[in-house]
Amino acid sequence: MPIDKNEKQRLQEKARQHRTDIVNVTEWAGGAHIGGAMSMADILTILYYKFLRIDPARPDWDERDRMILSKGHGGVGLAAVLGRRGYFDMALLRNFNKFKSPFGMHLDCRKVAGVDASTGSLGHGMSMAVGLALGARLQRKSWITYCIVGDGECNEGSIWEAAMSASHFKLTNLITIVDRNSLMIDGRTEDVMALEPFADKWRAFGFLVKEIDGHDFDELNDAISDAREKRQAPVVIIAKTVKGKGVDYMENEVKWHYGSMNSELAQQARRSIEKMHSA
Amino acid sequence: MEIVRRPHARNLVRFAAHKPEVLVLSADLTSSCEADDFRAAYPERFFSVGMAEQNMLSLAGGLAREGMLPHVHTFAVFICRRAFDQVAMSVAYPNLRVRLVGFLPGLTTPGGVTHQAIDDVALMRVLPNMTILECGDATEVESALDVAHGVPGPVYLRMLRGEVPRLFSSSDPMVLGQMRLVSRGADLLVVSSGVCTEEAMRAVLALRRKGVSAAHLHVSTLKPLSGDGLCDFASEARLGVITMENHSVVGGLGSAVAEALAERGVGKRLVRLGVQDQYAHGASKSYLLAKYGLDARALIGAAERLCEAPLDIADGELLGVDKGPADEQSKAEAL
Repeated sequence: MPIDKNEKQRLQEKARQHRTDIVNVTEWAGGAHIGGAMSMADILTILYYKFLRIDPARPDWDERDRMILSKGHGGVGLAAVLGRRGYFDMALLRNFNKFKSPFGMHLDCRKVAGVDASTGSLGHGMSMAVGLALGARLQRKSWITYCIVGDGECNEGSIWEAAMSASHFKLTNLITIVDRNSLMIDGRTEDVMALEPFADKWRAFGFLVKEIDGHDFDELNDAISDAREKRQAPVVIIAKTVKGKGVDYMENEVKWHYGSMNSELAQQARRSIEKMHSA
Repeated sequence: MEIVRRPHARNLVRFAAHKPEVLVLSADLTSSCEADDFRAAYPERFFSVGMAEQNMLSLAGGLAREGMLPHVHTFAVFICRRAFDQVAMSVAYPNLRVRLVGFLPGLTTPGGVTHQAIDDVALMRVLPNMTILECGDATEVESALDVAHGVPGPVYLRMLRGEVPRLFSSSDPMVLGQMRLVSRGADLLVVSSGVCTEEAMRAVLALRRKGVSAAHLHVSTLKPLSGDGLCDFASEARLGVITMENHSVVGGLGSAVAEALAERGVGKRLVRLGVQDQYAHGASKSYLLAKYGLDARALIGAAERLCEAPLDIADGELLGVDKGPADEQSKAEAL
């Protein structure tokens, strides 16, 4: 079902808050993988504020939907949304990635409520998600497994092993979303190791492919709603995004894969986010 | 001596009978890893994941997260080398109940260097949360899955396949963290694991006939190693300690024993038998055990070094344990 104007406004407000939270945590931590957190910010927003069947008061609720952030370096973004959704006190994020904090750069599922898998070594999360989805089917559970994969991460052969198996096992209870921001540490994905024709690759692996604008809530909503309902094959949503989205000086800049911000840069980032979301 | 054929194949079916959470994952080596009887008995709990070990290991982690009990079956090398990052990060780090059943440990493969897991114990030992079990005979093969079942985290099993001798009574199964005292003696302490135990038993018998008495411990829980118990015996060994393992001497049983002795201040000489920091070539098991110094004859040599005297033990005197047909005379083993 399409989203109405009010719902869209609500999501945009959540996304604005989420992006601001990411900037704040990055500033507090002294640095974080902010570029990729910003590119998937709208994806996390619609998942955590619309689609995921979750109960932050019961992070281990058996019937919850699962969400694995395979691009585990986006932990700063996941932590920010989990905190805002009430899994833990947001104030804890003031110590993100610091001594004695439960939050490392990459989140540990045994330390942070709401995290369904410890990720960080790229190329693992999607295989784990395949395991979860298979486990759900074996136990006749109706919950859905979501998995967010980085596009650079798709250089890893294990992603394609996972894709092959998701298709082989006909895991229609698995929804994979690729954050296609087209940048990785060394540069453009197409220069480092070309992924295109990317959608064709997923199709060839037996996936139903949806290519969308990963910052457009109408398109995100339609693609995810559709993926939840149409169950003939596993679905991949290739969400075209902009790395650093929302912060003018970060957008499409390779150097903001991981970045440190002083208070001046952080202030500038917050202003930029306000401007984008009020436009 | 009783030779048991395919004990794991039967045991896996028995073990899984009343445990619906037990799954088997296989990477195109189902009959080679004796999981074919399970596949026939419980096809709905058997998953072929193809020749894709990295995916298999993380996928197993995912299944374990959901309360299933995946038993990953493939050759030891492909668990430990091919998918080490996945074992470490998708299984050991989240401390998940995944059973890694590794076949053809050490030199027991006909496949040569590419298939010889001479480093698997070293790799698994270094992973926090990992328990390591190694089977030395049919009784241990028949009890290893039950032992692993009681462990709340991941377990790596060095498993034996095919025709497996029974060295220990069926009524004396493997026990977690418990070494077996195979024989008592005051001159030497022999610590062996896996297929080396049979060789060590032959050598210890021959040594006794020559007046050299050796205490012999068989270790099936390689991690955590029972260092205290081991050192009690080591302290009593007049001439020193000999370890014997179907693995590189780097990082395996020999290293673990050296650490245990040093940390407890047990100042005994130590001879580590095993693959001496080299790649071995491919051949029959008995040839390789002899060539690389993992057989009864090698243990006699180590004892002579510690005794500082020749013991004049002829090959004929090493046949104390009935070995069955020599590998060279039987059909070459297939992968």
